[in-house]
Amino acid sequence: MSFQPKLVFDSDPGDPRFGCIRVRHLPPDLVSFLQGKFHSLLQSILRVKVTEPVGAGVDELPDVSGNYQVLERALRFTPYFPFESGIRYRASFDLRPLGRNALTDILTLEFSFPSRVSTMATHVVQVFPSDDLLPENLLRFYIRFSNSMQRGRAEQEISLLGPGGRPAPDVLYRPPVELWDRSMRHLTILLDPGRLKRGVGPNRELGPPLKTGLDYTLVVGSGMRDVSGRSLSKRFYKTFCVAEPVREPIEVNQWVVVAPGGDTRHPLVLVFPRPLDWALLLHTITVASEGGRTIPGRIAIDQCEKRWSFTPSSPWVAGLYKMQVESTLEDVCGNTVAGPFDRPLSQSTHPAEALVGSDGSSPIFQFGITVERKRLEFEPKSLASTNSSPASTAGLTVG
Amino acid sequence: MRDKSESIGHSRRDVLRIAAASAVGLALPGGLSAASTAPAPHGTAFGPLRSAGVLTFGPNNVLFVGDIIGAKIHALALREADLTPQAGIELGNFHNFEGGDLVRGLDQKLAALFGTTVDKIVINDMAVHQPTQQIFFSVERGHGPDAIPALVKVNHGQLEVLELNNIPHSQVSIPNEPAAKDMLEFDPQQMYAITDVKYYREEIFVTGITNQRFASTLHRIPYPFNSNAATCTVEIWHPVHGEFETRAPIIRQVIRELNGEPYLFAVYGCTPLVRFKLSELKDGAHVHGDLIGELGYGANPLDMLTFTSPADSKDYLLVTIDTRSASQIAVSDLASAPAQPTGGGIDFGPGGLGRTQRAIPIKAEHIAILNSKWAVLIWRHPRTTYRLDVSTLALPYFFDRKDGMSEMNWPNGPDPFHYREHRNEIDTVGRMLPV
Repeated sequence: MSFQPKLVFDSDPGDPRFGCIRVRHLPPDLVSFLQGKFHSLLQSILRVKVTEPVGAGVDELPDVSGNYQVLERALRFTPYFPFESGIRYRASFDLRPLGRNALTDILTLEFSFPSRVSTMATHVVQVFPSDDLLPENLLRFYIRFSNSMQRGRAEQEISLLGPGGRPAPDVLYRPPVELWDRSMRHLTILLDPGRLKRGVGPNRELGPPLKTGLDYTLVVGSGMRDVSGRSLSKRFYKTFCVAEPVREPIEVNQWVVVAPGGDTRHPLVLVFPRPLDWALLLHTITVASEGGRTIPGRIAIDQCEKRWSFTPSSPWVAGLYKMQVESTLEDVCGNTVAGPFDRPLSQSTHPAEALVGSDGSSPIFQFGITVERKRLEFEPKSLASTNSSPASTAGLTVG
Repeated sequence: MRDKSESIGHSRRDVLRIAAASAVGLALPGGLSAASTAPAPHGTAFGPLRSAGVLTFGPNNVLFVGDIIGAKIHALALREADLTPQAGIELGNFHNFEGGDLVRGLDQKLAALFGTTVDKIVINDMAVHQPTQQIFFSVERGHGPDAIPALVKVNHGQLEVLELNNIPHSQVSIPNEPAAKDMLEFDPQQMYAITDVKYYREEIFVTGITNQRFASTLHRIPYPFNSNAATCTVEIWHPVHGEFETRAPIIRQVIRELNGEPYLFAVYGCTPLVRFKLSELKDGAHVHGDLIGELGYGANPLDMLTFTSPADSKDYLLVTIDTRSASQIAVSDLASAPAQPTGGGIDFGPGGLGRTQRAIPIKAEHIAILNSKWAVLIWRHPRTTYRLDVSTLALPYFFDRKDGMSEMNWPNGPDPFHYREHRNEIDTVGRMLPV
């Protein structure tokens, strides 16, 4: 008994998109004929195409590219690139280009793959700053998505509504390239720096982007597209009220340091008098051993970016630790340890600016932390220098 | 930000892992028995690449590929079977400045070839293999962290994926690449880690930025690769900004010998043209380039090349620019142009050779010289803006008469350039020797 040739899709058990197309039950004489034939000949009889309409002026679209194998009773096509979810493909097996009449039927197979994560629609997880009372000179928002996203839709989908729900024009800065991080899950939205900086043209003409005492809403439209091309599950709103501007540098010596106990994995905690920049908090503060080795651990940020906690991977061991704060750390208005984001030109240089190294390198603020078994006390120490850069050191004894 | 790409579905790494286990393909004998029904592994196309950026050809059919994600330059020694002479291809009517379309709907066809939709297609660079006049593209499927790289060639109008796994390959790592998390104000720094690669006399010259204090860097690497790479940092005076600059990278480079001395000419964003003596590019050196032309503010250079004009047989430098016409400058002026003064105030220019540059009407996303009469470009055709085409433009004026309305297009209109006498002359790629 001889089977008729059949076109099938062989699925990879791990991920259906990593499958291939196979014509099975081929007659032995055909298999013998196909063995050793060129790629182009095999390609002419077993073809896989994307079933997309062809644009005007474009001649026929090429087939999906891949390689071919002649097997014992079969011919197999494996695409160079895994098949994609949400796209319709059409495979066909047609021997007419060979001029053989033994098998006249043309076999076809249409297939597609449902979206792999269809049960978990992409959404906005959070917007930073998290507080709903934000200073008038707020510099930026970070929008965190639950999935990787695609570029190209931020300008039309992300907007700011002013009092009464009316669009607030010319408030958000529209950079030529959308500011995504590498994971494509975090988007930075800047408020127009030209309106934030007092005295420059846009600020003089239009005033600051936000006005103290008024309510605003940041809107992320559902038309943002995730990496699979899907829209967001719903539109996202963040409503906030605007408070007085903040034009003070970050004062490290106003931070409250809550020290962990020795032999514990309790977090080392910093509490700030006002919210700091969420993204910068994640990588500008590090903890090192006395010898300078970075202590691995996990950073958590909460209380509206006013609390930073570091939980070490291994328990604290009694001894001296150093905590380093890079001078690139900013608060939500772009103020740094070196000075405020903007200030009148006539104002004298802020003393903290003297901290910038003569070679232009970033200064580092450094705390010493002593972890001991018994005692717990906080003891600020005098300023000291590290390397060539001036730095600030505070001491902390922990029990 | 701390999120890593590993968490997202099938990452590029997954695909590469599968690729590494494969490489069987057509090499298998037909009567294969064991494992004959198991699906073949995927991904034999992209071999060692983790991303596919700038392209340039060296001698002996070697194709150099900049790979920013892998922080490497790959050298692929293409075999005879990887290259097909393009003899007989119709290029257009040279006398009448009428180019031809080599591939219509490049982006749509790449999407079909990769089994995806057109919005997932990113074309990073184009290079021409001169001996065969075959055109190569570096392409990625996808915009996200799981984008898949590929090299694609044009064979008599058809697109073909270049299978890399069996092509002889060597690579060199680019040191001190900026970290993935390091940002510029608007882009990740890594985007500029490898901006251009050029081959000159058994060396490649790689421009870009590193994580060092003087970020703008020029790597000078012997090919065939060995451990003797030299790295220097680069400083220029940027008149439009009124300052010395050491971080913004060279965007495009051209290496030419003039009066017996080899020079590297570099163009930057916003748009200084700078001259370096190759002899000064030594390992560990911090070199200062001579600013010889300020081509105009607010512009990003796209491609830089030289060509010989079929009109006057002189050599010209051509810089295509995203926001305006391309700049053409006589190569003979490049060595003799005096270095512009440094240290002055902000000067929006143009200055130096920028003052005598000739504006050339090119609107290309990528351009390369195909042969002595034609350039090839990737562009959105002015009448079909939704479609990306690969087309030819006749040297040395780089304009296509078909696209314009003019008095000469009217029946019985004037014909000062004798277009009608040459109406049916179609220029084709000539016969060529085997590779």
